Amino acid sequence: MSDFETVAATEFHTAQPGPAGDVNAPSQPHSMETQKPRSAGADAWRELRRKPLFWIGLVLALFALVMAFWPSLFTSADPQTCQLSRRMAPASGGAIFGFDVQGCDVYAKAVYGTKNSLMIGGLAALLAGVVAMLLGVTAGYFGRWWDAIVSRVVDIVLGLPLLLAGIVFMRRVANAGGGANARVWALIAILGLLGWTTAARVIRSSVITAKQQDYVHAARMLGAGHGRIMLRHILPNALAPFIVIITMALGAFIAAEATLSFLGVGLIPPSQSWGLSISEMYPYMRENAIPLAVPSAFLALTVLAFIILGDTIREAFDPKLR
Amino acid sequence: MQVRRLAAWVALPLSAALALAACGSGGGSGSSNPDGVISIGIGEPQHLLPGNTHETEGAQVMAALYSPLVNFDEAGKPFEVAAESITSTDNKVWTIKLKDGKFHNGEAVDADSFINSWNFTAYGPNAQDNSFFFDKFQGWADLNPSDANVVPTQKTLSGLKKIDDKTIEVTLSAPFTEFRSLLGYTAFYPLPKAAFQDPAATPLVLKTDFEQAPIGNGAFKIKGNWQHDQQIEVERFADFTGEKPKVGGILFRIYQNQGAQYADLLANNLDVVKTIPTESLATVQGDLGDRFRQSPSSSFQFLAFPTFDARFSKPEVRKAISMAINREEIVQQVFQGSQKAAYSFVSPVVAGYRDNTCGVNCEFKPAEAKAAYQAAGGPSSLNITYNADGGHKQWVDATCNQLKANLGVECVGTPEAKFADLLQKVEDKAEVGMFRLGWSFDYPSMENYLGPLYTTDGSSNYYGYSNPAFDTLVKEGAAAPTPDDSIKKYQEAEDILVQDMPVLPLRFGQNNYGFSTKVQNVELDLFSRVDLNKIEAVS
Repeated sequence: MSDFETVAATEFHTAQPGPAGDVNAPSQPHSMETQKPRSAGADAWRELRRKPLFWIGLVLALFALVMAFWPSLFTSADPQTCQLSRRMAPASGGAIFGFDVQGCDVYAKAVYGTKNSLMIGGLAALLAGVVAMLLGVTAGYFGRWWDAIVSRVVDIVLGLPLLLAGIVFMRRVANAGGGANARVWALIAILGLLGWTTAARVIRSSVITAKQQDYVHAARMLGAGHGRIMLRHILPNALAPFIVIITMALGAFIAAEATLSFLGVGLIPPSQSWGLSISEMYPYMRENAIPLAVPSAFLALTVLAFIILGDTIREAFDPKLR
Repeated sequence: MQVRRLAAWVALPLSAALALAACGSGGGSGSSNPDGVISIGIGEPQHLLPGNTHETEGAQVMAALYSPLVNFDEAGKPFEVAAESITSTDNKVWTIKLKDGKFHNGEAVDADSFINSWNFTAYGPNAQDNSFFFDKFQGWADLNPSDANVVPTQKTLSGLKKIDDKTIEVTLSAPFTEFRSLLGYTAFYPLPKAAFQDPAATPLVLKTDFEQAPIGNGAFKIKGNWQHDQQIEVERFADFTGEKPKVGGILFRIYQNQGAQYADLLANNLDVVKTIPTESLATVQGDLGDRFRQSPSSSFQFLAFPTFDARFSKPEVRKAISMAINREEIVQQVFQGSQKAAYSFVSPVVAGYRDNTCGVNCEFKPAEAKAAYQAAGGPSSLNITYNADGGHKQWVDATCNQLKANLGVECVGTPEAKFADLLQKVEDKAEVGMFRLGWSFDYPSMENYLGPLYTTDGSSNYYGYSNPAFDTLVKEGAAAPTPDDSIKKYQEAEDILVQDMPVLPLRFGQNNYGFSTKVQNVELDLFSRVDLNKIEAVS
């Protein structure tokens, strides 16, 4: 958040917009002389700080991040060490949720599964973000035929159901003999390349709104090139909804990874993944539901964290919802 | 002969001595409804044709439609059904006399029905999977030239002769003591004249849609057509001359997976499930009570090595891996005791079985195994290839975990979508590492566990194993004058396997089946088929 805030604030000063001309200007123009003007980002931050939901989402997301990078902080057990003699054994020692059908530590498996889920979700969101940014900004800024092409491409990609395309693509990868690592990258690629459309639409329309602003006209008259105008003037003011969309998409990508792994076309062992654990354990649900419930809960909470984050940020940025 | 015994849906049961259980509560309480229609869950059959049916799903339906020459009692001894007698003086020339019988279309069952069927199956260009079963017949080689593109010079088996309408003379290329048992297999069912475009032609050509509504000589005739992936319905054949079944009809419902079958049984929508899914074994007692039954089966699960792969060419490496596997633990934990750990190469259901022939090579000794493995220079990473469609993941993963822990190596289970894919990779000598195979007998004999699997030119020898001494002993066993003499030779052959360990015996299957409250007297026979003569509908 803090990065965004600085960018937006800098922009405000650089562009020097008139109080009436900038939609993002603070709502009390008469206090301009006495008070340092606040950017939209700063406004949103003030709003967010007071929301408990935002803090819950943030804490959960940070928690998941730490777990992904340093799983050994949370468990000393090796998720790959499974002893059949402990099959479905109850909790003991570090294994606070007991053992699964292969005698693996349920908790350790869930903890180590975090990395793949967040990495796939994060990198897919990054990829989707970059594609959406490039196409969305240029389409909104240049308009005309380029806009027409990009918009139709968006329509076409939107017409491809994410899961269906994911299954078909991942089957191809599997048939080509892709190993455990190849599957990870293939998942990132397919999720990223199918998931950018909404973000591209949103950023395109933000750019179209932003480029009508006086400060953009002013920059152009002062001789700024397309690149400078897009990067320094338009983008910072069009970024907020984009960040929201991408945050929520991250949650959706994590869920999509789990779904594809569950269906047997996503990750394969020895990769650890919640979806994989769920698919392995669900036939045993009637015997012992805990090995199924734990990865499910990890998955649900992580996805929830990013959706809450996205949602609260969106509300904070949207004046109508304040 | 290739794929089926190794087929995905394992477990061929021996009809169990369950008489005691059947008298208990629940099982045999209701009175029988002779016209009731019962349902049995199966997977989609590959074929419904004597020459092509070699997996348990199709064999179940064929058992309703056809009456075999011989069937087997609980001890695995053959007795005549459609045959009056099967005799020989030298075990080489056999005379088969037939009983009277009728096909469902009214045709009489005569010598030609069998001779036509067998000639059709044995003729190489017809590409019937069961053609291999006739390789002991004189003249089979002439119908199956080693180059598949060459048209055979002969059209019919020279070893098949019609003596009269009810008598067939079969000449084998070498004496085979257990020939009568061989005749119980699906491949030896008869076909009516109506099956062929021209019953007088040579070679015979099958009517293209015959398989969709097969005409047989069995106790049930098909009702309508085979509805693929849906169901096959059969009804009692009024003119059947053999033992009459006790139900009016059978609906074979076709399922894509065992889990769905089991769920339907629990909902009382299905009457018989022949294989309880592995993942439900822990809860099945509570679900079905005494409607869950177990019986021994002829199935044998083992882990095979590509012996042509340099990493596995040393018997010491294979023995060390064998000693690092705790068979008992897998049986108890993964299969809930529903299978038996195997310490022999031959199933307990056949005569000549000896307990623990494998001896020290199959004992679980992790420390010794690790030392031996390192001394023999075993590979530092292993994998076990298995077919993902047969419920093998759990035990393969568990085996890998044991090898990781006990040998200090890396090990992963590698799934192949279908069993045929696995075999194809093995045949192409692709990198499969170790791979799982299973075997259920075609006829109750030790020979069937040895010849096809380990002789140099065995039909299912996928591991490149070859030992001339073994080949000789199996050949001598088949030609021995009495079954007892055969068994002695076969046992000597089995001892050679123990020294070489081309495969690791893991488990002998048991049949785990369940049935609804609407049926009783449910038993499974030697070939994992529900005994359709015994089953009754509760009225």
